[in-house]
This record gives sequence, C-alpha cells and structure tokens, in this order.
Amino acid sequence: MSKSYLDAGETHCAIGHPKTVFWQWMLTVDHKRIGIMYAAVMFVFFFIAVFTALAMRIELFAPGSQFLDGDTFNQAFTLHGVLMIFLFIIPGIPAIFGNIVMPLMIGAKDVSFPRLNWFTFWLYIFGCLVALTSLFNFNITEGEILFNFADTGWTFYAPYSLNTGTNVVTTLVAAFILGMASILTGLNFLVTIHRLRAPGMGFFQMPLFVWGIYATAWIQLLATPVVGITLILAVMEKYFGIGIFDPSKGGDPVLFQHLFWIYSHPAVYLMILPAFGIMSEIMPVFSRREIFGYRTIALSSASIAGIGYLVWGHHLFTSGMSDVAKTIFSFLTFFVAIPTGIKFYDWIATMYKGKIILDSPMLWALGTIITFAIGGLTGVTIAMVGSDIHLQDTYYSVAHFHYAILGGVVFLLFAGLHYWFPLVTGKLYNEPKAKVAFYLNFVGINLLWFPMFIAGYLGMPRRYFDYLPEFEIYHQISGIGAVVIISGLLLMFQNFLSSWKSGEASPLNPWNATTLEWYTPSSPPPLENHTKVPYVDFGPYEYHYGQPKVKFDLQTMKRID
Amino acid sequence: MSDHPYVPEIATDREGNEYEVQGWQGDFFGGKLGFWLFMLTEIMMFGAMFMVLTYYFTLHHDDFINASSSLNRTLGGFNTVVLLISALTMGLGLLKMRYGDVKGAKLMIWATILLAIVFLGVKAVEWTAEYNHGVFLGLPALQGGLPESKPFGEIIFFGMYFTMTGLHGFHIIVGIGLMLWLLKRINANQVNREHYILYFNIVLYWDLVHLIWVFVFPYYYMIGAGLSTGGH
Amino acid sequence: MANTKTYEEERLGYYKVLGGLLLLTVVTFIQPTMFLTDATFGVQMLIGTVKAWMIVMYYMHMKGEKLITATVIFALFLVSFFFVIVMIDVNNFQYGDVSHITSEITSAGGSSASVH
Repeated sequence: MSKSYLDAGETHCAIGHPKTVFWQWMLTVDHKRIGIMYAAVMFVFFFIAVFTALAMRIELFAPGSQFLDGDTFNQAFTLHGVLMIFLFIIPGIPAIFGNIVMPLMIGAKDVSFPRLNWFTFWLYIFGCLVALTSLFNFNITEGEILFNFADTGWTFYAPYSLNTGTNVVTTLVAAFILGMASILTGLNFLVTIHRLRAPGMGFFQMPLFVWGIYATAWIQLLATPVVGITLILAVMEKYFGIGIFDPSKGGDPVLFQHLFWIYSHPAVYLMILPAFGIMSEIMPVFSRREIFGYRTIALSSASIAGIGYLVWGHHLFTSGMSDVAKTIFSFLTFFVAIPTGIKFYDWIATMYKGKIILDSPMLWALGTIITFAIGGLTGVTIAMVGSDIHLQDTYYSVAHFHYAILGGVVFLLFAGLHYWFPLVTGKLYNEPKAKVAFYLNFVGINLLWFPMFIAGYLGMPRRYFDYLPEFEIYHQISGIGAVVIISGLLLMFQNFLSSWKSGEASPLNPWNATTLEWYTPSSPPPLENHTKVPYVDFGPYEYHYGQPKVKFDLQTMKRID
Repeated sequence: MSDHPYVPEIATDREGNEYEVQGWQGDFFGGKLGFWLFMLTEIMMFGAMFMVLTYYFTLHHDDFINASSSLNRTLGGFNTVVLLISALTMGLGLLKMRYGDVKGAKLMIWATILLAIVFLGVKAVEWTAEYNHGVFLGLPALQGGLPESKPFGEIIFFGMYFTMTGLHGFHIIVGIGLMLWLLKRINANQVNREHYILYFNIVLYWDLVHLIWVFVFPYYYMIGAGLSTGGH
Repeated sequence: MANTKTYEEERLGYYKVLGGLLLLTVVTFIQPTMFLTDATFGVQMLIGTVKAWMIVMYYMHMKGEKLITATVIFALFLVSFFFVIVMIDVNNFQYGDVSHITSEITSAGGSSASVH
C-alpha cells in the first residue's frame, strides 16, 4: 500500500522538518494540504455567515422589531456580507480547488512558488483574524467587550463609512490583507499555468477548469490592487482627513464608488469563472461525451474576464454619474451575457445524445443551469438604466445577486466538493444522502429568493429591518426557504464528515473521468502527485463509446491504449 | 524542502522521444515572470492613484496649479537625479555579478543603499519645511471649514501629495531592506554568478520604484512650475 | 538575456541610457519656462512616458520578452480604460452647478454652521 499525501510525514515543509503531525500541517507547502486547510477555515466562516443570515430572516419573519434593533441589524448584514464575500466566496474556489486540483490537472508536482503558497495561506488567516477583531470593541479599563462590527454594508460606501463610530478601519485593513492574499494566489497560479504544464500540453489541451482558474487569476492580479489602494485611501481619509472622499473638502464620494466597483465588479466574475470551470469538468464526465465547443468555452472564460473589467459603472446608475457614462456602461454590460450564453449552450449541447448519469455532482450542475439562468437573466434586466432606477437597492437586486452567486458559484462549489471528494479523501460519500441534500437546497433556494423578486419589484428596499405589512407574505415564504436550505446544508456537511471518517474506500477513478488528476497511483494521491510526469498528446475529454479513450500505466505514466 | 540537488524529470511520448519537464525548482523565467506580475499589481495600484489625481485635477484645475507651484522644485529635482543614478548603480551591480565580480557587485549595492538614504533624507527635509509652513496631514490648513483652510483643490492636492510620496518613500524603505537581505544572501553564496534570480528581481523592483517617481515628480512638482509664485 | 555582448558593451549601454535620462530630466526642468508653456501638463507627462519607456526597455530588460510585454500592455490598457471612462464621467458631470464640491465655497457661513 503506497503512502498518500494525508499520511504523517508525507509532506514538504516551509521551515525545517517538524516531527509532529500538527506542525507538519501548519508548515506544509504541499498544495493539496493547503487546499484542505483553506476549505476547513472557509466553511467555518461560511456557516457563521449563514447563521447570521438566518438571524436576519427570523427577525424579518414579522414586521416590526422582534429581537434585533436597527443598529444590530445593520451590523448583521455587514457581517454576513464581509464574511461571505471577502472570506469565503472570493478566495473560495481558487484557493480550495485551484490549489488541490489545478496542479494535478496539468501534471505538475506543485505550484510554481510553494513557499509563497504557504505564506499566502497564513496571510489569509491573518486577514481573517483582523476581520474577527473588528467585530468587537475591547474596553480594557472597564472590562467590557462590546459588539461593534462595521455597519456600512460590505461596500463601505463613503462618506458614511468615514463617519460611523464602528470599527470600519479595522474591517478595511482586513479586506486589504485578504486582497493581498488573493493577489499572491493569482500570481502563483498564473506562473504555474504558464510554466509547469506537462510536456506536450498546450493551452488548448488544458482541462477547462484550469482555463477558469487562469482567467480568474488575471482578475485577482489586476483588479485587487485597485480596491487595495481604495481601502488605504479610505483609511488615510479617516485618520488624516486628506479629503479625497469627503465632500466638505471638495472630495467626491462617487469616486469611492468608482474605485470600489472597478475591483468589486470583476470580483463577481472572479467568483463565477472557476465555478464555470467546475461545470465544464462535470458535464462531459457525467454525459460520457467529449465537451461541445471546447475552444468557445475556453475563450469565453477569457472574454468574460476581459469584459468584466469594463462594466463596473452599472452599480452607479443611481449615484449621480453622468448620463453619458451611464449609457456606455449599460451598453457594455449587455456584452457579458454573450460569452455566458455561449457557455450555457455548449454545456447543454454536451449532454445531447450523451449517456447522462444522474449522480450528485451532475445533479448540482443541472440545478445550477436553472438557478444561474434565473440569476443571470434578471441581471440583464437591471443592466438597463431605466429599469435599474426602479429596481436598484430593492429585494430584486438582492434576489438576483443570490441566485447568481449562491445558485451559481456556491452550487458549483458544492458540485465540485462532491466530484472531487473521492480524490481528496480517498473515500466515497453516501450517495442517497447527497441527493436528498441537493433537493433540499434546490427547493430551499427557490423558496427563499424567488418571492424576493416580487417583493423587490413591488418596492421592498433591501437592508431594512422592518417593512410594511403587505410584504409579510413574501418574507414568510423566504423564512421557510431559509430553514429548508440550512437543513440541506447541514445534511450535506454531515454526510461529508461522516463519510471521510468511515466511508467506503474509493476506487482510483470512480467517475470514469479523463483528466489527469484521476491518474495518480493511489487514492488519495501521493505527496508529489503522479509517479512520473506524462507526455500529453491528447485532448482533455476524449471518450470512446462512453469509456475514457486514454489509458495509462499508472506506474510509468505511459499510454497503454 | 528536500536538500538533495534537483534533477529535472524526463517525460517520454509514445514514439520514445524525450522531453525535459519544467519543475518549479530553478525556474529562472518563472521567477522573472512572477516578479513582473507582482509589478503589474503595483502599476494598477499607482495607476488608480493617478486616476484619482487626474479626476481632481479636472475638477479643481486652478487650485492644483497653485498648490503645485508652492512645492520645492530644487529638492524634488535633486531627488530625481539621485534616484536616476541609483538605478544605474543597481543595474551595473547586476552586470558585475553576472560577469563574476562579486566584490564590485556588493560595492554597487552599498552605493545604491547610500543613494536611497540620501533620497529619504532630502524627503525628510522637504516634509519638515512644509510642516513648518503649516502644510501637513492633519494640520488646520488641510481641514475643511476653518478660517485658515486652503481652497478645496489644494487640500486634496496636498492630501494626495503626502499619501503618494509617503507610499513611494515606503517602497524605498522596503527596497533598502531587500538590498540588505540581498547582501546577506550574496555573502552566504546563495546568490552568485549562476543563481542570481533574487538579484535580478530586486533590480527590477528598484527600477519600478524609480519608474513611479518618474511620474510622481512631474505630476506634483512641475505642473505649476510655469507660475512665478514658486516657493512659500 | 542570452546575448553575445561583452561586459564593456553592456556597461556602455547602461551609461548611454543614463545620459538620455539625464538629458530628459533637464528638459523637464526648463520646459515650463522655456517652451510650450500652455501645455505644460501634457508635455511633462509625455517626457515621463519616454523616460519610463527607456527604463522599462533597457534597465528592466523587457526587450525581446514577448509574454511579459503582452502582460504589461494588458495592464496598461486596463489602467488607460479606467482613466478614459472616469474622465468621460467627470467631464460630463451634469450636476456641477448645484454641487458643493466644484463650487469655490469659502462660505464661512455654510460650513461653520456644520462645525458648530
């Protein structure tokens, strides 16, 4: 029995050769171990944010104030937003699956800068700790701790964020540090993808998930510095009053919104592109058919990343931007729908005449086709200036965002969790339970957010802790949906944890997949991945009568088909 | 990390042709590419700040010209030349290292460190003079709504001036630290004629710091130079 | 950096670039009082761009690096796009007449009221 990367001692470390298992994990530079640690930390924050959201939903179950007052509610939705956006979903898929799977997919032993990868992980942890300290005000002399998180919403709009008495500055610093970690991750992946592909593997022989990571890395690298400097300027403004976002000194708060969204709009593509990559992996494998339109999917990833930089202004339609700029941005925003549409048609065409296998990764992917279509198409409606004036800052935009991000990114992240669970842990999860969890989530998301489209269209504003009685029915349906979706999430994670502990051992390639990460000599993979680096003279998704066409001798990594 | 010497792996295709596998170890171009990508983030960061500056230059054109004319161009120009020469010494040092002249390379690094310290010293003199004129972050002249407040555009001009030159100065300090570290690595023979990627990247970093100043200097010091009101 | 140049030739290259940069610095200094005084800002930025180009090409050895050149051009394109759009926005700012941030208020009345 060969050793796997999870066994004690099977790791390279950044400093020295520690003897204890604990330090071997803390100092590890192995991309697979780092990915697992990212996942563990992120899902803790994910559940904190989920339960914050549940608290808000319970508060909103009836009009009036029940157990949260207005200020606490403001802090609650800020906490939910900051944790979900900066700690979970922006680093999410790249840090977890980009780390674990991407080097395996291109036949590399590790990422290009393994020590930097280790440093990045701890920078991320440091950023998380700073974010957590901003939750509280420590008053040492009187021995009291006050809950005092930022109450600005995750967007930190000036000038309110510069005037509020809460710990906005600490939160800004945390977001800056997390941004640095994100930049370094992107840099590492870009160099890895450019330099460490196995011999023979050109850009158009890479699996599509790697394309997704590649496009994402460019956004991480080039958009994140803009928000970094914006947050620094906001801190300078707060402490020294340099005046650039302060109207009483001639500064323009709208400029803050420009700078913020120059990053944060590409950031939503940063979230969705690797998720689309996961979809492109799952579709051919569970249809047992070569993917339709490989090049169009690869290039649409690149063009979504490119166009994504140019459309930030659609967040500013009601902020006092000039009419000329509004028209330009509205026009450019429509273009994003084109490459996204291309991808969707390609995935559906892949299934046509395929041998579709409805295992849980495929269920999640199919569910995403429905939920993301709703999220994406409602996005087109609010990209129009006219309708956006009506719908901005209502539950309609909230529902759009959650359909696109929860129904798109997080659903596909879960699809990826199911798909790569046997690879990472060497165990199989409980399939019936996984299916039940999927249906609970799928029903839950629609119950939770579809009523919000209607409530928002009728004028329910977002971020309010109270509402008019006529909106009660929508909030109550949403509340039920929230309970359903949370029970689905809990069931899913219970399934993962118990299966990892005592699940059935997984065969080497349980899904009959064709990409390189499944051709390792043991399950889970050994420390330095493949026994030998293969020569790649084949496409990533070659099926022949429903079976993978390319076969390897796993000890020599020579083709034997 | 493994201590044994790195031997590149060989991949074989079906015809038996052999291909050397690029590992992450000893990847000179990878290191260079990685550092260039890092410098792109600096370009985006300072690019965004210049965008902020240009935005307010459009809104408060005359105030910006007035504020700019009051900066000390002699000291600023002196610093420009200092940085220019330091970029040369840094580049020559790498050249010497590549041709095996370790002693000359170390001398050049020390010269660069010296020039960097001169730059910071001049900067300190400049900031002190401005502080004595009541122009500094947090002083009343740069607060809004007070009798001694400067006009809107000048408040923002000086706010950005101290932020950007401060950030640039921070980069210089980091650069000095990197050069000291580099000297330590050279002494330990970790950086030598064959393995000089670290040296190469620190030279790139120093050129970037120079590059930023190439734009910071005219944008702050020179746009108001045509006005004869120069000096406080 | 595989090249056939000797040490002396490469060193000479460094000094030539230094000479060019120093010359341009002198031009930077005399321009605002000597020529094109109506377009100081544009001329200064143009000189800066030429200097930057020299530094990047020769001191930073970007000559012949196709991939790196492409990434740099991509980044510069993005920055310039941000510039263009934000400038279009600020130049078409339609609330300038009623905005407090563009009008020269030294209005002690209005602002002191907010202080007290």
